[in-house]
Amino acid sequence: MFKEDEIKRIEEREKEWLKRIEGVKERKARFETYSGIPIKQLYTPADIRDHNYLEDVGFPGDAPFVRGVYPTMYRSRFWTIRLFSGYGTPEDTNKRWKLLYEEGETGFSAAVDVLTFNGIDPEDPRADVEVGTEGVPLYCIDSMYALTEGLPIDKISVALVVEPFSSAPVCAMYFNMAKGRGIDIRKLMGTCQNDILTMTCGFVPFESVPPDQMLRLACDLIEWCVPEKNVPKWHPINFTTYNYREGGIDAIQELGFGFANAITHIDELIERGWKVDDFVNRLAFHLSAHKDFFEEIAKYRAARRIWYKLMKDKYEAKDPRSYEFRFHIQTAGSSLTAQQPMVNIIRTAFQALAAVLGGCQSMHTNSYDEAICLPSEEAVRLALRTQQVIQEETGVADTIDPLGGSYYVEWLTDEIEERVWKYLDKMTEAGGNVVKLLENGWLYKEMADAFHKRQRAVDEGEERVIGVNCYLSREEEPPIVFRTNEKAGEIERERLRRLKERRDNRKVEELLDKLRRACDKGENVMPAVMDATAAGATLGEVCNVYREVLGTWNPPIVI
Amino acid sequence: MAEERKIRVLMSKPGVDGHWRGIVTVSRGLRDAGMEVIFGGFQSIEQIVETAIEEDVDVIGLSIHSQAHIPWTKRIVSLMEEKGIKDSVLLIIGGVIPTLDHERLKELGAAEVFGPGTPIKKIADFIRENVKRKQKVSAS
Repeated sequence: MFKEDEIKRIEEREKEWLKRIEGVKERKARFETYSGIPIKQLYTPADIRDHNYLEDVGFPGDAPFVRGVYPTMYRSRFWTIRLFSGYGTPEDTNKRWKLLYEEGETGFSAAVDVLTFNGIDPEDPRADVEVGTEGVPLYCIDSMYALTEGLPIDKISVALVVEPFSSAPVCAMYFNMAKGRGIDIRKLMGTCQNDILTMTCGFVPFESVPPDQMLRLACDLIEWCVPEKNVPKWHPINFTTYNYREGGIDAIQELGFGFANAITHIDELIERGWKVDDFVNRLAFHLSAHKDFFEEIAKYRAARRIWYKLMKDKYEAKDPRSYEFRFHIQTAGSSLTAQQPMVNIIRTAFQALAAVLGGCQSMHTNSYDEAICLPSEEAVRLALRTQQVIQEETGVADTIDPLGGSYYVEWLTDEIEERVWKYLDKMTEAGGNVVKLLENGWLYKEMADAFHKRQRAVDEGEERVIGVNCYLSREEEPPIVFRTNEKAGEIERERLRRLKERRDNRKVEELLDKLRRACDKGENVMPAVMDATAAGATLGEVCNVYREVLGTWNPPIVI
Repeated sequence: MAEERKIRVLMSKPGVDGHWRGIVTVSRGLRDAGMEVIFGGFQSIEQIVETAIEEDVDVIGLSIHSQAHIPWTKRIVSLMEEKGIKDSVLLIIGGVIPTLDHERLKELGAAEVFGPGTPIKKIADFIRENVKRKQKVSAS
């Protein structure tokens, strides 16, 4: 990109400049990114001397997609503002969604409760007090009608944040509801998380099926929706690196886990006889926007280039749409503090700005009270306004990839890419695909080591956290606590009781038997799950069939 | 001089919420601080109390991120009372729990509540001081 003699002159001048600052005491003994990449005082054209602009950076919507996945990016359309939201009952959540929609939200996202996550019905005494406390309970098709009542789900996309164990039945309930509302599901827009590593590393599963069966269930849903074209516009999986990043792993590991996860699913679908171009365009990612501003921006740019290379070189994809790395963003919940919670508004705003400068397709911004409770209306409105300020007032979205060409950002993009490839090699050596890495405990060890490393960094003051280990306030007013619906458990148990009274119980039993046979024979579970949930089978009933036929699993956690 | 018995801590998660960073971080931290940690993981209230008795623990640590901290605390305290370990075993709770609820949990029977951002040392120090006190009380 630069002439060789010019680079030489720059390097000579840099040496002189370095001499001038020699011996000046710096703030820290060493400067490095959150992921431990050493940072120099200054970057110059010499740091990206090997760049060939067209090959290594290129144009938006063009290989290698570093500058953005679409040719026009935010000049034509802003990213989708999609706040992850759910609590109490489907009716309570519907009210919150309507409020957010009226205030300018452009996509919906259902945070589900822990019973929905784990495929458990609300009568279970091991979880009966956790109904609706951490998300919306979605245990049957009736819940889906209540959740989306009065909302234009034929025009606005909905994200169902459910993982491989409960994703098939929850999506099936949603698809059946849409059909019931007269919507052609071949046109239905939306997404589900359906992510093995969220189910196992982001959280630990409670009485869920073993990893190889989770992979099978995840791929059944992908296969049924996309290459079989039942819900072709649906994004049947989001590799949600956000959830593992929250544990404390760094940006390199985040992308490493995410790509290894994607490779595992792609290989499984190819094994089933599909071509990569049949389905890969619908696979999406959900990344974190963490603390280190420039590192995060470089991470998104590097991720697009890595994906392009994977698709082109490893999978020999031909359809240009297969090269597009599209991602949703969540600002880092783990960066929020219970102390001085209003400071979280500022943290979130910076993280959101990084995501926009990195070219995200949709975004959730956290509310300031999330280290304390589920978000209050006031807090969630501010989270929404944060994105609207970026869109309407800052002007940062008026040109594409405004940091492209920054010597530092371009250098860091290259550096992250290189480190991610190395980390992927390390994962291959450690066991191969993510199923094996779950079974042999390697991923759990990486996660637990990260937990410990971060805790020590904060305890020892090496990682500065305002309100926790520096700038403590003497007096703190605890924020107003948002309480979820205390009657949610009773309401949901009653909902299921009424459903069971109304439905044809014999038919449900027969359809669950059909599912049992599909599970046993290794057939795609989706047709049976669609039929069973349409007839009123509950989430717990479907997941109990999985447990019975596919077995359960205890993750090899080490402390 | 007889070797001092290590403080024994059972670390468990009631319910089915899978947030596991807290429990693993604190478990490893307490082990590094010289305590014997029994990692219960997911356990029902009955299993937690049963394990606490079988393992003869000094402390039960519950990690709760589901916002259901009040009902879980009520249930465990009531069972600890029934099984006669309420006065001999220290109950501590950690997780995403509103500060306003900390007092309520203490009224219900928790010895202390630790929220996000708590240094491990603070938890370890609290256990060391209060386990002794608790043993004296039950011995008298």
